[in-house]
Amino acid sequence: MKVQSAMFYFPEEVIEHIFSFLTHHPDRNTVSTVCKAWYKIERLSRCEVFVGNCYAIRPDRAAARFPGLRSLTLKGKPHFADFDLVPPDWGGLAGPWIEAMARSCPNLEELRMKRMVVSDESLELLVHAFPNFKALVLVSCEGFSTDGLAAVARSCKSLRELDLQENEIEDRGPRWLNSFPDMCTSLVSLNFACLKGEVNLKSLERLVCRSPNLKCLRLNRAVPVETLAKIMNQCPNLEDLGTGSLLADQFSEAYVSLISALQKCKKLRSLSGFWDASPLCLLAVYPICANLTGLNLSYAPTVQGQDFINLIQHCVKLLRLWVLDSVGDKGLAVVASACKELQELRVFPSDLFAAGPATVTEEGLVAISTGCPKLNSLLYFCHSMTNSALITVSKNCPNFTRFRLCILEPRKPDPATNEPLDEGFGAVVKTCKNLRRFSISGLLTDQVFYYIGKYAKALEMLSIAFAGDTDQGMTYVLNGCKNLRKLEIRDCPFGDGALLADVTKYETMRSLWMSSCDISLRGCKALATKMPSLNVEIINEWEAEMEENLNNGVAEVISNNNNKHINNGNDERKVEKLYVYRTVGGPRTDAPDFVWTL
Amino acid sequence: MRGATDDDVEERGVELGLSLGANKNQNHTATARRGPPCRILTAKDFPASIAGPSRASPSPSQSSSVSSSSVRATDEDSGTDVVVGSTSPETGSGSINPSSSQTVVGWPPIKAFRMNSLFNLSKEEPANNKLKKANRKGHHVSCSNGHSLAEDQDKSQLSGRCLYVKVNMDGDPIGRKVDLHSHGCYESLAISLELMFWGTTTSSTGYMNGSRLLDNSSEFVLTYKDKDGDWLLVGDVPWSMFLDTAKRLRIMRNSDASMLSLRFQQTYVHGGHEQS
Repeated sequence: MKVQSAMFYFPEEVIEHIFSFLTHHPDRNTVSTVCKAWYKIERLSRCEVFVGNCYAIRPDRAAARFPGLRSLTLKGKPHFADFDLVPPDWGGLAGPWIEAMARSCPNLEELRMKRMVVSDESLELLVHAFPNFKALVLVSCEGFSTDGLAAVARSCKSLRELDLQENEIEDRGPRWLNSFPDMCTSLVSLNFACLKGEVNLKSLERLVCRSPNLKCLRLNRAVPVETLAKIMNQCPNLEDLGTGSLLADQFSEAYVSLISALQKCKKLRSLSGFWDASPLCLLAVYPICANLTGLNLSYAPTVQGQDFINLIQHCVKLLRLWVLDSVGDKGLAVVASACKELQELRVFPSDLFAAGPATVTEEGLVAISTGCPKLNSLLYFCHSMTNSALITVSKNCPNFTRFRLCILEPRKPDPATNEPLDEGFGAVVKTCKNLRRFSISGLLTDQVFYYIGKYAKALEMLSIAFAGDTDQGMTYVLNGCKNLRKLEIRDCPFGDGALLADVTKYETMRSLWMSSCDISLRGCKALATKMPSLNVEIINEWEAEMEENLNNGVAEVISNNNNKHINNGNDERKVEKLYVYRTVGGPRTDAPDFVWTL
Repeated sequence: MRGATDDDVEERGVELGLSLGANKNQNHTATARRGPPCRILTAKDFPASIAGPSRASPSPSQSSSVSSSSVRATDEDSGTDVVVGSTSPETGSGSINPSSSQTVVGWPPIKAFRMNSLFNLSKEEPANNKLKKANRKGHHVSCSNGHSLAEDQDKSQLSGRCLYVKVNMDGDPIGRKVDLHSHGCYESLAISLELMFWGTTTSSTGYMNGSRLLDNSSEFVLTYKDKDGDWLLVGDVPWSMFLDTAKRLRIMRNSDASMLSLRFQQTYVHGGHEQS
């Protein structure tokens, strides 16, 4: 009480100043709930807002609450949209957010979006509404073209960052690069690696020439070695480079200039790209390997075998490595012996068919864990895994915060013992107290969920596929994982019992995704009725069936558009895809026909 | 793909109203079913690859993991496989390799962007040959308009783009997606759709006689929705123009098609594109 009355005598500016030391947005969220005065001070002084689910709040409301907003981060579609499990036109539209910001938040400078649909028109609106716009980061987005990029380039006087990661961008020609005005010299970071088409090389060179602050540059595959060399000669301060196509003839001028250019870039710490990399061009990279902290070879199937080994053995300071499984267990063994500081490893499959001679197995993973005890983040695709390997790995690396293991064949048991992999994954949750993200695969029973519920207390995100036996599995997780924020499940035998076991739990989470499980419409309706603060959405593409039913007079057409097909009397129907999330925004107003909010 | 016998092929040749989707809770009406029901396979259809511990078998009424956006077509340069198979318990998984993760929709969990990039990466991709082996039918359709399938694959690889459009068939609640860029002509597309929805081509001599979807000889016709939202009969415009305007496909019952006046007129001019 005394503290509170003491705070009353502080002018607002002082409280605001105190709040400015709180940069972590959950902390700011917390202080805003203390009292009305603090809520007001906090909201008016807030500069950065993170919205993990764009449907959790209406854009207008968010914009009105934080008029001083400078930086907005938005996430749209659920994670499984990455794997084509969410139909196109589902939603996640950026337009309404950009419009709301344009109306209410004049100071917006940075926009980061993931899995959202952005149109060219929205991009135009963005850059016209905010002439001082500085940073646009788009990850796994779609709906726009190079024309939209041209608009961004053209209109931003002081653009610092244009970062495009793995977006589906419609290619309307290379001219967008020309749109950067001659007076634009502010670029610090430019990433267009995901663009599939040609770029205007001369424009690129000129742009780089007039960007003395450029630290991060990631090119696309269309940029040849000659241009790369020219560019690198212009920016010796480059720290993060994504090469274009790394193909050059020996003794060619391009090759020679590449070597000398690379040697000039003493600050280079991160490399990616490596498309079509020839062994020769890799040789050129060796001299800078010793200082590299990040290396992404996951789009370079040509870098394997001895070439990979020759390259990686120099990378003694490496912290982050992304590779294809074509490097094999042998390649991973070299990583283990050379990269003692390694913290993050991702091994992607290069061939989805049979396991070739040079793919990775549990041996590679064990070797890594033995040689790299600082490993804390793992994404590993392999054809098989054993319990004993997982137990060894968790003993060697107790610091995992992110552990994702994908055994390519669903429900595959431990080949050595024929048993499920419950004990192996159980060992991971038992020893890794800081585990925040977990993805499991292979043959798994309810037992693994018992372990997860019991030990994974820090867990925030869990991804499950083809696992479990009964509702009890999912219930263990809902009951035990106190910090769970996102739960995504596919092809598991969890039904209404599991779904309804603890309905209030979902209010503490960002979202729940269940597809191809055993839940029924009845169960989903029950959830929706009990928890009005959640949006319970089911995705069903029964268009053809509905048309047929209507033609045959089977289904009753109810005028409420949303309920048109829901109430034809059969609640026992299995629900194919369920997406549940907490929201203060009410049911979506932009839901397409196949998304039904119950 | 399908472990179909010749008998099955003939059966299906007669009955094109085969309804895909074994979900017993769906309200299928008149479409008669002959032959084993077909549905998209998920891993639960495969016995555990090694006789492992007993586990609860999934309920038969569980719907399969399907959505029109998650199915990948028989796409020779995308590295993925058609997810259709005949799965009655008697025939089992037939010719499908149960250890392949390819027959499961949306699995392995690799970003679609990465999948597309990886398998469009090298132009003389040896994976293409592997894919031809893995494609159990092994069709190679040579297109009468002069393009070979390979040429157009190169083209789309060079442009690096896939062009997925949704395909629905009347009576089938499960929609699919097909990559138009992986085909060089209408024949190739139609054959691929027949394989996708019926698991086999409609004549026992396969593609030699052309697709029945295109020549008006089956109960179904292939239609598409263009940029302006109109539904038109597939096959009337040059292939490249079709690629530009087609937004969606629908395999429509012949009877419905005539009601919608889709018949091609010689002098039909549509949206500024003049038919030759």
